[in-house]
Amino acid sequence: MNCPSCNAMPAPGARFCENCGAQLGDPAAVPAPVATVPGDHPLGDAPISAPTRKPAAALPDPPTPAGRRPCAECGGEVGPDLYCLECGTKAPSERDHFQEQPASWVAGVCDKAIRKNRNEDAMALLAGAEPGSRAVLIVMDGVSNSIDSDVASLAGARAAREVLRMPLPAGMGTPQSRDAAVRKVLTDAVAAANTAIVAVTDPDSPNPASATFTAAVLEGRRITWANIGDSRSYWLPDAGTPVQLTVDDSVAQAQIAAGVAREVAETGPQAHAITKWLGRDSEDQKPTVGSLEVAESGWLLACSDGLWNYASEPDALAAQVRAADTLDPAALAVALVAFANGAGGHDNITAALARVDVTGLGQNDQTPTPGGEPSDG
Amino acid sequence: MAEFNAAVYQNEFLPDGGTDVNAIVTITCQGAGTAGQSGAGSAGEIIIVDTSGSMGPATMAAAKEGAQAALAEIVDGTYFAVIAGADRAMLAYPPVSKGPGMVQMDARARHEASSAIDRFVGSGGTAISTWLDLAGQLFASVSAVTQRHVLLLTDGENRERPGRLDEAINRATGYFQADCRGAGTDWQVAEIRRIAQALLGTVDIIPSPAEMKAQFQEIMRNAMARGVADASLRVWTPQGAEVLFVRQVSPTVEDLTNRRTPVNPLTGDYPTGAWSDESRDYHVAVRVPAKAIGQEQLAARVQLALGADVVTQGLVKATWSNNSELTTRIDQQVAHYTGQAELAQVIQEGLAAKAAGDEATATTKLGRAVQLAAETGNDEATSKLRKVVDVDNEETGTVRLKRAVEKADEMALDTASTKTTRIRKEPTT
Repeated sequence: MNCPSCNAMPAPGARFCENCGAQLGDPAAVPAPVATVPGDHPLGDAPISAPTRKPAAALPDPPTPAGRRPCAECGGEVGPDLYCLECGTKAPSERDHFQEQPASWVAGVCDKAIRKNRNEDAMALLAGAEPGSRAVLIVMDGVSNSIDSDVASLAGARAAREVLRMPLPAGMGTPQSRDAAVRKVLTDAVAAANTAIVAVTDPDSPNPASATFTAAVLEGRRITWANIGDSRSYWLPDAGTPVQLTVDDSVAQAQIAAGVAREVAETGPQAHAITKWLGRDSEDQKPTVGSLEVAESGWLLACSDGLWNYASEPDALAAQVRAADTLDPAALAVALVAFANGAGGHDNITAALARVDVTGLGQNDQTPTPGGEPSDG
Repeated sequence: MAEFNAAVYQNEFLPDGGTDVNAIVTITCQGAGTAGQSGAGSAGEIIIVDTSGSMGPATMAAAKEGAQAALAEIVDGTYFAVIAGADRAMLAYPPVSKGPGMVQMDARARHEASSAIDRFVGSGGTAISTWLDLAGQLFASVSAVTQRHVLLLTDGENRERPGRLDEAINRATGYFQADCRGAGTDWQVAEIRRIAQALLGTVDIIPSPAEMKAQFQEIMRNAMARGVADASLRVWTPQGAEVLFVRQVSPTVEDLTNRRTPVNPLTGDYPTGAWSDESRDYHVAVRVPAKAIGQEQLAARVQLALGADVVTQGLVKATWSNNSELTTRIDQQVAHYTGQAELAQVIQEGLAAKAAGDEATATTKLGRAVQLAAETGNDEATSKLRKVVDVDNEETGTVRLKRAVEKADEMALDTASTKTTRIRKEPTT
């Protein structure tokens, strides 16, 4: 077969024409490019660096647990009718209570909480096997007065996880360029979540599903986050000062910014009114983005308000982490959820954690770029 | 192959601090087939006819005819025997004095047994314990028989020293079932009911000889339709829970609470005997430790077990709620059968008080019975009560004891006291 472009005779087995460089062979054998709808697609047509990233760097989905978990109440065996064979406690459905542990150092619990009828929180995690390598924590909180927000939040979290499966881009080498590229990917993750929510929303729904969004990505010693609404990410070092990374899009936060004390604002009648959200009636899907270089060991936490309602101040949360006294992220997530349930459990509770251990990180793992300040602008 | 289904009727919502869960579990059997035909063992039938001296000529003639009609209903191949009961029990058929005391039914055996019944002559007293004991021995003499049923007819009071009959009942309990009938009015309802209840059977009065044949036929036909030999109601309750009671509430009220056999620390079996194509209702009441508002838990698994096999299961739940609209509702099935169980009790207590000459108590109890029968729509109880009391006001339960009451009417009210009516069912979700 001659070259379809210049008609030169190629060498046997050649994939490209020696003469003009055109591709040879059966066009059907070449993978078709992924169809994109300009403007409509969550990834848009922006020149992100995704194609240059190696597929081998993509993180795998967390393993799905096999079999039924033992009874959360008494540890007894759960029967085929989904009630404990010992104490009769109803085993939660997989949607009402699930745990993910993509790697030994990253885990999360997403729980209905004792006072709620369904779990509208969602969580999606990713992690590399090597501790401290790379972790993605996504938490979304479905708004409870909208229809099917439990379905929507989970669809959204999983869609965002697809976007964050690859390492964050490094840009063209300058901090500004990298920040812009990272911001672009995180915005795309939010857009993918939004698209997924809209896709599962009944077009005729008078009360479309909506949800918050928080994603925290750890790569080496660098934490990057994006936020919409009032789910949060915290950095809780073992010894240093704990910080709340995200800033809520909420009435309470606006009041705090205006000078109202946090305890007053967060317990007021409008405490849980959010000013930004995802979903069909979302008006602003631009996340607040930031990053932080960490220098000490500690925990990266992404959580819903079902947890921070009972420990809003970073110090209060850090105290609960210390009280749990464990380095196992799964055990800590269970302990934090138990704490929130014990404190009332009035809202769905999600706690996703990644362990950062600087003693376990070599020099080469350190992110070369300096800068400890959130780069949100 | 028999198929079982279970449906649960309850209000699962408990108020804050609430502990007591009530549920009606309806168990339905379909495709039961014929007794002894399932391959799991043979059926055995023993007919016991009272041949004491008190049996008048008309009653005896009717009893013979009834027993012969019952023979006609016994399916060929079924092991059977006929006992003549008086001061002691006589094996009337088969004519053996040792070895297996039952033979398989066929045309010849049916004819020979009929002839043996024809030769019955009334004489002597009534020692029912010996009748039950002989029946037990006969069943035991044929190891192939695994489903054991007795039809017992008596016309008089047991004449044995106190305790003997109860001992015999204890020996028979769990080994064979017995449907009991009393002819005329000289027998004791409470005494015969004790036998029938322990042996998972029915009790009724046959007031006139003319009804004997039809009753015998019906009893034996029902017995032969019980293709499922022996089933247990298996009740699991969670750790820390207490079974308040387990009672069958339809077709009759039978308290099973004290008949529990432990399966494991959380599970017990209650006997239900053999099943035909039928539906029975059970009222299960469980006390569980209270949990927080919003918590849901299982209060009981109510299952039907054939040996070790669980063939159907109903789940009784508890959910704590602070919504009083939910928690104050009483399930209509539970309410209905609670009323029916009380109805049975007040009829029996009322009649006992009347027999003891305590007219005030009798009037109060039977008045309450009239009220309950009306409330729960038990027309049979209402019509039988009206033969014993004059009703001034059904709604308030104001009654007067009738001065002249037929003994048979009083006994019919007594035997029918445990029969319940059903109401239309809408499953709770």
